[in-house]
Amino acid sequence: MAMVQPRNLKYRVWATRIFLILFILMIMLPFLMIISVSFRTGNFATGSLIPENPTLEHWSLAFGIPWTNVDGSISLPPFPVLTWLWNSIKIAVISSTLILMLSTTGAYAFARFRFRFREHMLTAMMIFQMFPAVLALVAIYSIFNTLGNYVPWLGLDTHGAVVIASLGGVTLHIWLIKGYFESIDGSLEEAAAIDGATPWQAFRYVLLPLSVPILAVVFILAFIASVGEYPVASVLLQDVDKLTLAVGSRQYLNPQNYLWGDFAAASVLSGLPITLVFLLSQRWIVGGLTAGGVKG
Amino acid sequence: MAEVFLVDVSKSYDQGKSWVLKNVNLSIADGEFVAFVGPSGCGKSTLLRMICGLEEITKGDLSIGDERVNDMPPNERKVGMVFQSYALYPHMTVRENMAFGLKLAKADKKTVDQRVDEAARILQLEPLLDRKPKAMSGGQRQRVAIGRSIVQEPRVFLFDEPLSNLDVSLRVQMRQELARLHRRLKTTSIYVTHDQVEAMTLADKVVVLSPLADGAESNLEQVGAPLELYHHPRNIFVAGFIGSPKMNFFDGTLLEGGEEYSRVRLNSGSEISVAVNAVSGKAGDKVVLGIRPQDIHLVESQGNAIEGTVSALERLGTESFIYFAHPDIHESLTVRVEDSKARHEGDVLTLKLPAENCHLFDADGLAFRRTRVTDF
Repeated sequence: MAMVQPRNLKYRVWATRIFLILFILMIMLPFLMIISVSFRTGNFATGSLIPENPTLEHWSLAFGIPWTNVDGSISLPPFPVLTWLWNSIKIAVISSTLILMLSTTGAYAFARFRFRFREHMLTAMMIFQMFPAVLALVAIYSIFNTLGNYVPWLGLDTHGAVVIASLGGVTLHIWLIKGYFESIDGSLEEAAAIDGATPWQAFRYVLLPLSVPILAVVFILAFIASVGEYPVASVLLQDVDKLTLAVGSRQYLNPQNYLWGDFAAASVLSGLPITLVFLLSQRWIVGGLTAGGVKG
Repeated sequence: MAEVFLVDVSKSYDQGKSWVLKNVNLSIADGEFVAFVGPSGCGKSTLLRMICGLEEITKGDLSIGDERVNDMPPNERKVGMVFQSYALYPHMTVRENMAFGLKLAKADKKTVDQRVDEAARILQLEPLLDRKPKAMSGGQRQRVAIGRSIVQEPRVFLFDEPLSNLDVSLRVQMRQELARLHRRLKTTSIYVTHDQVEAMTLADKVVVLSPLADGAESNLEQVGAPLELYHHPRNIFVAGFIGSPKMNFFDGTLLEGGEEYSRVRLNSGSEISVAVNAVSGKAGDKVVLGIRPQDIHLVESQGNAIEGTVSALERLGTESFIYFAHPDIHESLTVRVEDSKARHEGDVLTLKLPAENCHLFDADGLAFRRTRVTDF
């Protein structure tokens, strides 16, 4: 926009910049502190932002490598952090993929078909979503406890249970994808139908390729939610080797001995898969995919 | 290539409480170009969508070729459709857009390439085959949409106001291309438009639809060749809809219904002779006299004439529209003359209504047969 601007705009731009810088600092500070703690000698939560005697002890332990201390004694890694990381990634990838498949097809039905109780179902889904999952913890525990008697891989202490429990989160994504589908002109699928496409083919070859940006967003959101999920996973998983990173990191913080340094290293590590997924998905989050299809 | 038959086709969105389309009966011959025209809300697009299967038929039968297709989904009907919005697949190139249907039908690559190249040649799309829709102009996109249906070799082409998003000069050019295309492919075509010029110039047969009035039996007003509708409109609706500017209508009373000429007294008192066979009417019946703006002559003489006061003037160079105030007409009386002479508001002019040019409608709006149509 090449609009004519009043002269005092310059000062306002500077004020905005200062505000933004302060705001970014506020967000970045806790993150920098965690990184700092992970490189700090000993397990201390407080200290200067730039560690005085930086050490790789906590990182070494997080990667499962025994650490030789200055006095010659050897610290063994207290927990299988890499196994936890792998558990987290496995659960997050599987559950995000399933969530994506379910919410995409569900959203298609809500966006394109007219059926009885459609509005009611949409509202009900929205309302149920408003209750936190914590409220249902007891129920989730007893459901999977019972389920485990019949389907072993869905019982307590299995990753299958965590994946299935996470599928409850599809409703928000259904709303999100439905909104996107509705912004795509229905005449494209009508044209596909006349070209000989079955409803499934029209969905698969016309609607889905145009919806890639929202699918990438939903995948990222579901992935982040799954990696960070604590309450449900903490109830369903008990065996140390089965824990996810989010649940496992909590093990460092027992009231007798807060291992802040190791905790910090594990926390930073848990951000890694999310960052990776985001960087990989970013190239699909683009605008203008539907440009030129229909005359508005 | 196929015939299309519609028998009592009706559409209701609320299980028969109210109807959008009612009892449409129509037969379209193989290779014929038919245009559906009508004002907005008359259901012409709905009728087209019922033929291709995007809307269900509430009542009646539709057959394409010799099979009844009421319950056949659109992907099995083998019809091609060009949408008003083009509806091109934005993520595919022109080539992929055109090949999409053939690929779904699992045609071998050679056939696909051959048909796409052929269609691209006919529509002069060859240089654009690798472009995406967003990198093309409106006219090019519409040609791709047409190409996409050509390659499928459909039994029937359906066009849903395909030119209404184009600017005027492009529309004229595309209209001629469509006409040429139909002469070449000779595929049965159904063309929906609200633009009567498109209908009159393209179609072998024009179908006029009206919004369904309360209690009406059907909204099919008239089916006929373009000039037949122009010269022999069946009723007031068709007479008013076909022709631009719109026909003028005067309220009057039938004085004498003759076999070749009938006499009418307009409510304002003028007596006009009309070349219609109105033997079926009785003297004293309420009638409506219609005459097109270009058929009225400005003259000095009296006889078969009325007087009007100029209320507005539009001069376009080669022609002028003069609007008159006249007591028998609610809106204004329009006269088209082929000059651009200055005339002034308030001038009183004598207007001759040649008997041969007049239409006459009875109280129900049905036309009496004209007897002296010379140029048709």
